Amino acid sequence: MGRYVVRRLLAAIPVLIGLSVLLFAYIRILPGDPCVAILGQKRTPELCAALRENLGLDLPLWEQYIRYLLNTLSGDLGASVVNSQPFMAEFLTRFPGTVELTIGALIFALGVGIPLGRLAARKVGGRIDGLITGVSLFGVSIPVFVLGLVLVAIFGVILEWLPTQGRIDARARFEATSGLLLIDTLFAGRLDLFVDVVRHLILPSIALGSIPLAIITRITRASVIEVVNEDYVRTARSKGLKEKTVDNRHIMRNAWLPVTTVVGLQAGALLGGAVLTETVFVWNGVGRWVVDAIQNRDYPIVQSTILIFALIFLIVNLLVDIGYALLNPKIRYQ
Amino acid sequence: MKNLRIGAILGALLMVAAACSSAPAGKAGGTLIVALPGDIVRTDAALMDDSNTSYVIQQVVETLVGLEPGSTSKVVPVLAESYEMSADGLTYTFKLRSGIKFHDGTDFNADAVVFNYERYIGLPTELRDYAYYIGDIFGGYGADSNLESATKIDDLTVAIKLRKASSTFLLTQTLQVFAIQSPTALVLGKADNTETDISKVTAATGGAGAMVGTGPFKFVKWIVGDSVEVEKNADYWNKDKVAYVDAIVFKAVAEEAQRVNGLATGEIDLAQTIAPATIATIAANPDLQLIDRGSSFNTFQISMNHTYAPISNPKIREAIAYAIDYDFLIKTFYAGAAVRATNWMPAGVAYAKDLNLPGYDVAKAKALIAESGETDLTIDFWYPNDVTRPYMPDPKGLFEAISANLEAVGFTINANSDGWREGYLDDEGQGKYEMWLLGWTGDWAGPDNFLKTAFFGYKNGAPSKEFGYKNDALDKAMNDALAAGSESEAKALWETAQDLIRADMPTVPVANSKPQAAATIDLKGFIGSAALNEPLNLVWLDRP
Repeated sequence: MGRYVVRRLLAAIPVLIGLSVLLFAYIRILPGDPCVAILGQKRTPELCAALRENLGLDLPLWEQYIRYLLNTLSGDLGASVVNSQPFMAEFLTRFPGTVELTIGALIFALGVGIPLGRLAARKVGGRIDGLITGVSLFGVSIPVFVLGLVLVAIFGVILEWLPTQGRIDARARFEATSGLLLIDTLFAGRLDLFVDVVRHLILPSIALGSIPLAIITRITRASVIEVVNEDYVRTARSKGLKEKTVDNRHIMRNAWLPVTTVVGLQAGALLGGAVLTETVFVWNGVGRWVVDAIQNRDYPIVQSTILIFALIFLIVNLLVDIGYALLNPKIRYQ
Repeated sequence: MKNLRIGAILGALLMVAAACSSAPAGKAGGTLIVALPGDIVRTDAALMDDSNTSYVIQQVVETLVGLEPGSTSKVVPVLAESYEMSADGLTYTFKLRSGIKFHDGTDFNADAVVFNYERYIGLPTELRDYAYYIGDIFGGYGADSNLESATKIDDLTVAIKLRKASSTFLLTQTLQVFAIQSPTALVLGKADNTETDISKVTAATGGAGAMVGTGPFKFVKWIVGDSVEVEKNADYWNKDKVAYVDAIVFKAVAEEAQRVNGLATGEIDLAQTIAPATIATIAANPDLQLIDRGSSFNTFQISMNHTYAPISNPKIREAIAYAIDYDFLIKTFYAGAAVRATNWMPAGVAYAKDLNLPGYDVAKAKALIAESGETDLTIDFWYPNDVTRPYMPDPKGLFEAISANLEAVGFTINANSDGWREGYLDDEGQGKYEMWLLGWTGDWAGPDNFLKTAFFGYKNGAPSKEFGYKNDALDKAMNDALAAGSESEAKALWETAQDLIRADMPTVPVANSKPQAAATIDLKGFIGSAALNEPLNLVWLDRP
């Protein structure tokens, strides 16, 4: 197992290097000039020349890449060309926001998707199954930002049940320590603010969670239907086991496998969806940051964020593969 | 009759009572949440060139002279008690207020002012591209700077000497860029011209020494990309204007929909700018108020490059000006929050006069085209497809309406578009467009900022590539006006410059928009300004 993990991690290195070349090239092919992005109507040829020299953009491309690669390897992921803030420090202040949102979305997607999938499988072909399938199709098709704005309009503006912007009430002027506000507020003994943070999490989690929700529901339904007809389920039933035990031990344990894979794959989609969700909900996370950076042609930020996202994606997939082994003793890694 | 008189007296008494009760002292306390269209960029007044940063910094750091609340051009003393200009227009002597302390407890005095102004002269080369305004206003640095020296006369008197006279010097000094920061903090924040790497100048990046001024609010923290927090300065020197609210959080809310939603849910108290398209939504909500800033501080124009035919023909340009249905554009795309342009600069700018620009007259446009002798009436026309600007809330819609107007009088329009940052600004600046949509939001209310900086000033002694508009007499008039020794001389020269421009109709000014603000109904005391100099210390929240 340990050797397998090391091998997988080593295999990630060429992937990341290849990605860094692609990213570097792609961002520079994009039309637009950071000088225009930064100085806008106020730019002059002299200011632009100075800016390019300052940012090292006047160097040949290969030299820029080598510099970038060497810096990256030494842990220096650059700084924003817009506000000069170092990438890593900024990333670390925003990442907790994206983590909380992603976890919230996964909890919503799993908590709602799996029971829905099981229910649909049990009533397969019936009206409830049709309804659930329809809803999950809707979830796949509706763009996150549309759903987000609809949720804001209904639960924020009309019903006034839930907050719609940010991670915490700005009026509380709370001083975060780790950046994970759920934990920070608890440690600060501010139960009121903890509740506030949870309330802020609900709408964006639903919006973001709608992407994996549909897929999780459908995969759960499909794999439960498949497992239900297996011999060992019939055997379990004929042994006289309680239906609940059959369901949990024999059906779900086996149905979990494809669901786990999907959840792992969805982690990538969640990071992508976070970009839109964070923008709609004025959420201080990596997603909103990268949107701003793309608009500003903030090369170092875009480059390094995508690289880190790719790394996270690789790690999540590795964790999923390991999770397999834990869920299913039949799978062993050499 | 008697009853009537008693009624009148009672009425008068009631009115007096109402007047007394309608002007109570504001309610202190609370945190004000302000939505800005974007995040601030830096925390050092000198190293900034964007309106979001300026909006926040003006609450914290103050200038020697400022603009009267609500005005775009009336200069009033702030940290200076008084000022005077020497007869030759080269030396400005500022008498400073006494007893003022910076937020770090150090004294505001002549040494502090000298320290700040000397910083502008000696700014390290590496930091100059972050200091657009200093370079632009003083024409350079070191020996190239029009700022020759800043000298302490006594503890509370400073003489600022220019190399050549500038009739808009005082107006430019109202910009937040020239706000006086604590020298101790600037040294602490490595903003004393010793550090050349901007990322290590913590005064500019939100770290040690950031935003230490004398204003009604003190800087607390900047969560980059998200928000800036400032808190009340209870020891503010102007005792009548100590802030009502305890703190302000400026949130970057890029989406228009979320600014409006935030107001509706109460998560935002004040949205600094809203789009014309949402004016109706705000007006229909009894819990919200629209804030009209009164005047405009921008110009939207149909830009033209004179190196292309038929634009090179002055009769064609005049014909274009007659072809546009201005009232329709203002009603449709600005929701009425704009006025018809009467000049290339908005009405509040110094020396601006009504130039009697052409109105909508199709027959006249057609007649001018016939007179012009031009036969090929094809024009390449461009608009930006991925932005809105305060002066241009719907570029595509405006483009289509203007194109329709032009086609109605006989022009053939080749429609083109590009992304604002993808090439639009670059290409129009390089003179690649024949006709395009663009405008300008003022930095300071001097005619030079519009007529010279934004539009028709020569670049390096030649007409700008952007407009290809050659008029040596105009360039000379503008330069002479700037260097004029007296107010009357400056006025005469700026008026000549405006007449010269009007005669050539180099571009077609369309509208001066009035970007609106919106707030919850219980926000009081806000004084809007088209130039966005809006100190929030007088704002209070009328809520329990």
